Amino acid sequence: MDFSKSMAVAASGMRAQTDRMKVISENIANASSTASVKGGDPYRRKIATMGSTFDRELETNLVEAGKPLSDKSEFKSQYDPGNPTADAQGYVKLPNVDSLVEVMDMRDAQRSYEADLSVMDATKQMLAKTVDLLNK
Amino acid sequence: MNLPDLPLFSMLRERMSWLHQRQDTLSQNVANADTPRYVARDLKPLDFDDALNAIHQGTSMMTTNVRHIALTPSRSGAFEDHETPDQESSPNGNAVSLEMEMIKVAETQAQFQAAANLYAKAMTMMKTAIGH
Repeated sequence: MDFSKSMAVAASGMRAQTDRMKVISENIANASSTASVKGGDPYRRKIATMGSTFDRELETNLVEAGKPLSDKSEFKSQYDPGNPTADAQGYVKLPNVDSLVEVMDMRDAQRSYEADLSVMDATKQMLAKTVDLLNK
Repeated sequence: MNLPDLPLFSMLRERMSWLHQRQDTLSQNVANADTPRYVARDLKPLDFDDALNAIHQGTSMMTTNVRHIALTPSRSGAFEDHETPDQESSPNGNAVSLEMEMIKVAETQAQFQAAANLYAKAMTMMKTAIGH
């Protein structure tokens, strides 16, 4: 009997959530990154992806964060004629990041991470219980 | 007589390996809580009658030579698992409810503790019988 499989799966879930968190924090940090050149595009929001990969050594499916996709939705625009990157009408393109959505996403990632952590805790206690049989 | 072959011990062992495998499956579910199109899985419940029959009706081969390998009638394969979609599913086709999974994890953990404690108790009884 070995519990390494469920530990490894929970750990892979945590790793995937951490990678997702990285993408989210990138979005939040760049929520107002405009283009540096006139007529250029500002920061485009990234979407974290997840999928499972089969691990031959453990003979089980692990979770892995995939390549982040870019959000194809339209950029926001703000009227700011004084800005050097503004277009002919005086509008500046802003990133398509909605902080509220990002915060929601972050909470979701946090919740999943905590769930993985408690599975790990439960597994650890089961393992400890098994090892305890040696003491009897 | 071999101590691990006693019905009580082998049934507890069977129970513990079932719980162990269930824990593997549940951790898989929790880890995939955000994977699109992933559907939660669970093991088929361990049936007491089946487990009992497996122990009593299993036949083993006789060993008449030291070089013979004894075959124990214990089940060596994995337990079956199947898809059990949780009540809620998200638009990306993921059907894992973290709450349900956490309940199952806690349940498995408690049952495993009970089985391990029973195993330890049975061991102590054996020790008492041989006067230790």
